[in-house]
Amino acid sequence: MKSNLANMVLSLTVLTVIVGAALAWVNNLTAEPIAQAKAQALADALSQVLPPFDNNPAETATRADGLKLYSATMSGEAAGFAVESYSDDGFGGRFEIVVGFDAKDAVYGYRVLSHAETPGLGAKMDTWFATMPHDIKGTSIPLAVKADGGEIDAITGATISSRAFLGAVNRARKALETYKNGLK
Amino acid sequence: MKALNVIYDGFIRRNPTFVLILGMCPTLGTTSSALTGLSMGLATMFVLICSNVAISMLKNLIPGKVRIPAFIVVIASFVTIVQMLMQAYVPALYASLGIFIPLIVVNCILLGRAEAFASKNSVGLSAADGLGTGLGFAAALTLLGAVREILGTGTVFGLQIYSSDFGALLFVLAPGAFIVLGLMIALFNRLYTNR
Repeated sequence: MKSNLANMVLSLTVLTVIVGAALAWVNNLTAEPIAQAKAQALADALSQVLPPFDNNPAETATRADGLKLYSATMSGEAAGFAVESYSDDGFGGRFEIVVGFDAKDAVYGYRVLSHAETPGLGAKMDTWFATMPHDIKGTSIPLAVKADGGEIDAITGATISSRAFLGAVNRARKALETYKNGLK
Repeated sequence: MKALNVIYDGFIRRNPTFVLILGMCPTLGTTSSALTGLSMGLATMFVLICSNVAISMLKNLIPGKVRIPAFIVVIASFVTIVQMLMQAYVPALYASLGIFIPLIVVNCILLGRAEAFASKNSVGLSAADGLGTGLGFAAALTLLGAVREILGTGTVFGLQIYSSDFGALLFVLAPGAFIVLGLMIALFNRLYTNR
């Protein structure tokens, strides 16, 4: 078709209006499933990192040190806390984890929510720190890799990722302390 | 009959990955496993068929000078739809493909097929072209992902074939993508072209 200003403006305008309407419709259609999928992912992560609980921790979200904090209770008694933490020092940039603490503030479990670490190296952090002998479960002091004078074995070939991961765990612990000090 | 020819063209004779060497960014970036390669290929195929059909329907209504922006608007909207659907119904897959889904918009295969085929041919043939080219892309990505996964971690589609301790990590990382892709292009050209 021959181009002139009128038909160029008209065709692009009509096209974008139609496309915009179509996208709005799909967005409307998927908004609820997307929210549900996100809530489900959070609930799954929380049930994996926390000791047994019978409340709904996702509803207890508060903030401490800028991190999201969830508290779990078992028949009314405090069972533990989960903290969404992150690190900007990963080998592939920012990654996000959620760390669970038991009633005595010792690490109970963790889940990696999103990361961009190298597959086969840093990406092993989703299981590495949950396996003996480099398990972080039960620790209640700030953690460091052995190369930095700490007690935790770094992932072989991925000291930077390991250091960043422990940094994120320590950040979570600090947020939990801030939160508990605020309660006193 | 003609449609079958068009599909064969897109799948083998003008395979986007091994012959046209188009869309290399997702090809190299998402093929660290067979599953991610396959899902990236299928997502791209879906967008390609939809955009080819839409563009061939619109081809007589779009003035020549603004056809490229019009094509991009069509392609981008289908990509956004795929992105929202994946986020809603397969969130785990969406998380593993990450930024590569929105980046389908800038995949040269899509604009290339729109400009070279869909804007000149009937709706039916454009759909066939989208299917053939999309299948060719999906098959290439799956194959590449499977080979890298087997050599790198000893698994294929997550099924353990041999112990991952013997895997050569190199093949999961970026250099492995280049090496495997290069060898595959060489093999494909040996088999299907007479150069």
